[in-house]
Amino acid sequence: MNPLYMIFGPVVLAALVGIFFKEDFLVKIISLVLFVSMLIWSVSMLDTASINSFSLLGTYIHCNLIPIDLTLQVDRLSAVMLILTFLLLILVTLSSWNIKSSAYFALLIMFAGPITGVFLSTNLIWFFIFWELTLIPMFFLIGIWGAEGRIYASIKFFLYTHFASMLILLAFFLIYKQSGIMDISMIKESMLATPALIWWLMFIGFAVKMPIFPFHTWLPDAHVQAPAPISVLLAGVLLKMGAYAMIRFAIIMMPQTAEKYSYIILILGLITLFYAGFNALYERHIKKMVAYSSISHMGLVAVAISTVTYAGLSASLFEMIAHALVISPLFLIAGLLHERTGSWYMKDMGGLMQKAPFISTVFVLASLAALGLPGTVGFIGELSILIASIQKYGLWLAVIAIGSIIGAGYLIWTLRRVIYGEISDSVKTSNFRICKTRVFALLIFALLIIIFGLFPSILFDIIDPAFQAFNHTGGAL
Amino acid sequence: MNTLIIILLTLPFVSAIIAYIAGRSNQKYSFWIAEITGIILFAITLILFFNYSKPYSIDIEWFKFANISMPMGIYIDSLSLVMLLIATGLGALDIHFAHDYMQDDPHKPRYYSEVLFFIGGMILLVSAAEMTGLFMGWEFMGVASYLLISFWHHQKAPADAGVSAFLFTRFGDIFLFAAIGILFYASNTLNLEQLNTMAVSGKIDKDILFVSALFIFIAAIGKSGQFPLFPWLMRAMEGPTTVSALIHGATMVNSGIYIVARLFHLYTAAEALTVVATIGAISAFLGATSAIVQSEMKKVLAYSTMSHLSIAFVGLGASSLAAGMTHLINHAIFKALLFLGAGAVMLSAHHVKDMWRLGSLGKKLIWIAVFMGMGVLSLSGVPPFSGYYSKDAVIAAAWLSNDTQGAISILVTVAGVLSIVYIGRLWVLIFAGKARDEKLYKEIKKPSLFWIVLPLGVMAVLTLIMGFFQESISHFISGNDLPHMKYLGYYMLSAVILLAIFVYLFYYRRLDITQKLYSHPFVKGLHNILFNGWFIEKIIHWGVWNFIVEGIAKASYYFDRNIVDRFINFSLPASSFINHTLNRAKSLTPSQDSAYTIAGVIVLIAVIAFGGIR
Repeated sequence: MNPLYMIFGPVVLAALVGIFFKEDFLVKIISLVLFVSMLIWSVSMLDTASINSFSLLGTYIHCNLIPIDLTLQVDRLSAVMLILTFLLLILVTLSSWNIKSSAYFALLIMFAGPITGVFLSTNLIWFFIFWELTLIPMFFLIGIWGAEGRIYASIKFFLYTHFASMLILLAFFLIYKQSGIMDISMIKESMLATPALIWWLMFIGFAVKMPIFPFHTWLPDAHVQAPAPISVLLAGVLLKMGAYAMIRFAIIMMPQTAEKYSYIILILGLITLFYAGFNALYERHIKKMVAYSSISHMGLVAVAISTVTYAGLSASLFEMIAHALVISPLFLIAGLLHERTGSWYMKDMGGLMQKAPFISTVFVLASLAALGLPGTVGFIGELSILIASIQKYGLWLAVIAIGSIIGAGYLIWTLRRVIYGEISDSVKTSNFRICKTRVFALLIFALLIIIFGLFPSILFDIIDPAFQAFNHTGGAL
Repeated sequence: MNTLIIILLTLPFVSAIIAYIAGRSNQKYSFWIAEITGIILFAITLILFFNYSKPYSIDIEWFKFANISMPMGIYIDSLSLVMLLIATGLGALDIHFAHDYMQDDPHKPRYYSEVLFFIGGMILLVSAAEMTGLFMGWEFMGVASYLLISFWHHQKAPADAGVSAFLFTRFGDIFLFAAIGILFYASNTLNLEQLNTMAVSGKIDKDILFVSALFIFIAAIGKSGQFPLFPWLMRAMEGPTTVSALIHGATMVNSGIYIVARLFHLYTAAEALTVVATIGAISAFLGATSAIVQSEMKKVLAYSTMSHLSIAFVGLGASSLAAGMTHLINHAIFKALLFLGAGAVMLSAHHVKDMWRLGSLGKKLIWIAVFMGMGVLSLSGVPPFSGYYSKDAVIAAAWLSNDTQGAISILVTVAGVLSIVYIGRLWVLIFAGKARDEKLYKEIKKPSLFWIVLPLGVMAVLTLIMGFFQESISHFISGNDLPHMKYLGYYMLSAVILLAIFVYLFYYRRLDITQKLYSHPFVKGLHNILFNGWFIEKIIHWGVWNFIVEGIAKASYYFDRNIVDRFINFSLPASSFINHTLNRAKSLTPSQDSAYTIAGVIVLIAVIAFGGIR
């Protein structure tokens, strides 16, 4: 199938749907069908991407004046990212079933286009265009369907990440200026005259997106104000875009420079891990707590990326998927609690288990996974990162373990405050019945957390080839 | 055999799910599924035990990434088999007992499925060949313990107790987690037997070995309720008594000792056994002294569990695997007996835990009094009950070994001898004397013979019979004799008899004098210290609250809001741009804003494109 349809099709479809369909149920079905078919398509690409280098899907739009050939290539890394994205989009659609607006789902459909472009296009300019275009549906989704402070949050989110994009653009500009090539698959580190400068620009640009301390402050605001399913999309896809780009550009493309500055990523990653954890420990706003927990996990991903080794990158990709699976149900349930009790603060909650056992059980399971309990995906991520980073940096990296006791601290106390204990008035008077599709989405998250936790080889078999070549050549893919 | 082993490892988890689902239609089903599962598991263990000739082992690769392979094999040797017998045997008896104990609870399916999950975790722990499987079982038990302690989660105290249990043990567990990373780095294997052989042959760096042994021991301290991570164990008594019996008396708390025993050669090579013995001796003393003054019977048993586990630790610390492990086995049986006995008393006495409200129950609950009495004799070390032999073996080992002679051996002897005081006091206060609460006394219910008394009887008989097989158990586990010291048994026995007379006088004959004594300011102060477990919990709580939560966490909370956020918002080169736009953007509609952005992007692309060409 022509991959162009997968990128521009959704955008056109979104426009049509937004204009002609006022019945939201129909749009929901359309978006589900679209995302499921795109998931199938991206899974089928795993075969094409079985070897660990780029395979060409097609080159479109040729211009002699400027190098804006839309080159679409897929490798294992981008295929895995696409699968994760569409899986999350399906679950996000299911869990926003209660929103009665066709425009909302049209925006979700629209989001699917550029995000496919981000993961497939190897032309720097097109990569950048798609990168920026993903912001637009996000901006509206937060700005229109968000909570009270949505305007401030969406603008902060937009400007913040936009500012980061400027640095990235500058870096791309320098890359092109120095190497004369606009295609990632052909750029070698040795072609660049000032690799350090380019690396730093890209690192900061992507670090904002990931986010890494000290560039993380947009995230709690954006997450808190966004509607819960959009928080899932932010945490599961947008942050992963940052990590993906970090791996793709700052690590795989420039392994020597990355090696040189690996300690900086490591230290910032460790700071993020602990610092965000401590923030979550003091946080009484339930969704902000989850947001800080999300940042803390991304710190772990940064630690794994900083190793610049096959094992570390593999572990980081696993942890990225684990993070998406674990943090999403937490966001969904935190959002649900606010939706039904009208409060963000844990003091107004308590005893949820007595009122809504299913939701509470999923929340408990996801919390246990987030603190790295064996048998859940969270543990496999932590274990592989621990082993990979100790292999690279030596024994002192055992300090990563401290992250999981901080995690246990805030998550177990949250469970005590929200799920267990005496039932609070606002929980008692609220109704926690949710429609079947939202139950189904939570169930899928819970099952995936356990299945990948008990049988991680299913997931590792898929993601591991992504970095195989990185080992052999000691660098460039 | 391999099929049986796989069934042994998977059945509890499968049954846990089935018990929960089946219990939703009829709560009775969940009990029967649990009961049958318990019996099957015990039967499989017995088959494995009687056919044992050499260790059973199965290699399984769990997952592989990059060039790193993570195995999760199964390895069952004599040590594992003994632990399996305890876990499944006592587990089955405990489930049987719960039929009556949990009868009125509306959440039986959840109870049985969590108990089965726990048993599964314990089986996984003891039959794991690698650190990964061991850690998995370790954490499964931790989470089952957390869920079961807060089984009545709608009340404040059990919910808090669950948090305490989880965080205290988790604090230890992160060290085990770190040790996994360290050992894998140092030896490139996580196989427990290989780690032992590599440690002995000196292939692992001595310092690394010591650090990892220490880290693993910290996890053991947390799980086995040793000083200073024991306060959770006392709080855990908020859970159902059947849970306290199984998890916090007989099985899970043993896992700390098991892990040290499993890596015994590593500990020997790392010269870390002295640390084990020291912590054990301190905990034994603290636990024994605190147990003497508790007023709740479950708290007495909790402190005595702590004290006796420490005695087993001292046995290992004195380089005697045999003494430590035999004491662990004997302790598991008589402690489960005592806990379930306490549960039976509570069931009959309308869930009153305070011993000062009971008394004279021996007349009404004669069988429970007899069986608990046998547990009391075994715990305090009276021949021919099993506790006598193993406790004396540990104390002998402590006096014989050069490393532990002195303070450690004195402390453990004192703790061992003091057992009779707290446990005798417990028995006397419950079953002898006058009924102190007449109203309660009249309402005492008779327990069911089949569901309540039978499991107690089985364990009471076991603790008696086991006394005759101490040497063979010791041989089965370690291949060595129990340590023996001349005349030690006589000394210990005479001390026990003397103290028994003391208990008789103070808690039976002249209870009035004892009560008067308590009002003396010095005794009152001492009583207060002991009653609160030497204030360890208060100190830890104060430290964590003031330094971690109100210190670091609060500081980073305000730092993030007032420094990082503002700095990034306003002092970057683009600050004026952001500020300006933020102000202006309030008057923009979102569509205008995005239109500007897209326009901006296009302009920038053009600039780059043309800039690049020149």
